[in-house]
Amino acid sequence: MALDPAGLERRSRVLRALRRWFEARGYLEVPTPSLVASPAMEEHLFAIAAGQGFLRTSPEFALKRVVAAGLPRVYEIGPCFRDRESGPWHGTEFLMAEWYRAGAALTDLMDELEAMLALAASALGVAAPTWRRTTVRALFLEHTGLDLATATPAQIYPHATEDWDTAFFRRWLEDVEPRFGAGGLIVSDWPASQAALAQVRTDGEWPRACRFEAYLDGVELANAFQELTDSAEQARRFAHANQARAEAGEAPHPVDQALVDAVGRMPRTAGIAMGVDRVVAALCGWDGIGPGRVPGGV
Amino acid sequence: MYQASDIRKGLKIELDGQPYSITYFQFVKPGKGQAFTRTKCKNLITGAVLERTFKIVESLTPADVEDHTMQFLYAEGETYAFMHMETYEQISIPKDVLGDAVNFLVDQMEVTVTTFNSRPVSIELPNFVVLEVTYCEPGAKGNTAQGGNKPATVSTGATINVPLFVEQGTLIKIDTRTGEYVERVKA
Repeated sequence: MALDPAGLERRSRVLRALRRWFEARGYLEVPTPSLVASPAMEEHLFAIAAGQGFLRTSPEFALKRVVAAGLPRVYEIGPCFRDRESGPWHGTEFLMAEWYRAGAALTDLMDELEAMLALAASALGVAAPTWRRTTVRALFLEHTGLDLATATPAQIYPHATEDWDTAFFRRWLEDVEPRFGAGGLIVSDWPASQAALAQVRTDGEWPRACRFEAYLDGVELANAFQELTDSAEQARRFAHANQARAEAGEAPHPVDQALVDAVGRMPRTAGIAMGVDRVVAALCGWDGIGPGRVPGGV
Repeated sequence: MYQASDIRKGLKIELDGQPYSITYFQFVKPGKGQAFTRTKCKNLITGAVLERTFKIVESLTPADVEDHTMQFLYAEGETYAFMHMETYEQISIPKDVLGDAVNFLVDQMEVTVTTFNSRPVSIELPNFVVLEVTYCEPGAKGNTAQGGNKPATVSTGATINVPLFVEQGTLIKIDTRTGEYVERVKA
């Protein structure tokens, strides 16, 4: 793809809007290391080894240590790197905006995200997205007729024998996500097995992660957690992720012990990571992140 | 077997016992999920399009699909006889496999027969066929190229909408893909 000066100008407007928004809401910009000793642990994230460590897949661990140290509102906008991800909507290197707010609930972050994207839309001279809030279970029921609380993998994805999560994602990608239609959609309460670093609720309903994902015109833009604040549970999840990695023939990642300890000192906190390239592309109506990026990255 | 990394437009694969051709593909990875290739696949028998995702590490079964040039010989009840143009082998294809193609099949017409696991599953006619109108009501007097339509029966027995000026005994050109009248042909 050729370098697109108009596309870069659009992205710059969004970046200015985001920084203005963070400033107005009292968020502190905290740059954290890009080259880290311990990258994210999630089974399906692949970090790029570099020098003595790894290129970060997100600033999550560093920013949580900052929150645990007493700064209640922090954000960072910076490059992140995920190996084996490349396509019209994916870059191995991409620009992430991530922020954490002590004392906040997920609904607070939903409000913030909507306000922030309204400001970004205004900076671009386009209409602010309208948002609908729903749950994974409700969407699945709406588009497949299946209740995830009781459905078996064979019911969820009849075409192949799969574990529950793989069956879920295949059906999600084939029959649910493509039907989101235009506009903003905030999707809460993900399966507990996909909690990563989020808290899990078992009250009422089905076991679910206190997480939401935000979509605009069918494009996934952001992921938010009600953050886990239990060190022991965090250590268990990391061990489990490393075990899954080993079973898949991948090298385990070194555990960030400072982060595990910090999680236990963190106040109740909600955090969110948002792909800036995608936000620009979705607001501009592009069919991929390309026009907003300078070509030449690997 | 194919791997997901072999996926490209036009790749023919077998899904749920049916042959499909891939018409679109894209890398996709949900935030907390594994990577997949999202595809659109066209059923080579019915033409129906479905969306399918494949894991990055997944084997795909190639569809044993072949195109053969054959000549139509004759119809006998519900089956139609064709001759393979290279091997001269004769085969019978049931009417339901041929679908709408039976409306425009004429003796000695060369067609493309698609087989799946050696079984004929679909047929493709030449895009245009010239047939004689064997019956229609007399045209409205003074009518030219403009104006209304009327039904006409052609030599294969099919009914086609034709302009009012077309008379019984006229040769007409028909688009076999749409079943629509194209023009009059001088004998």
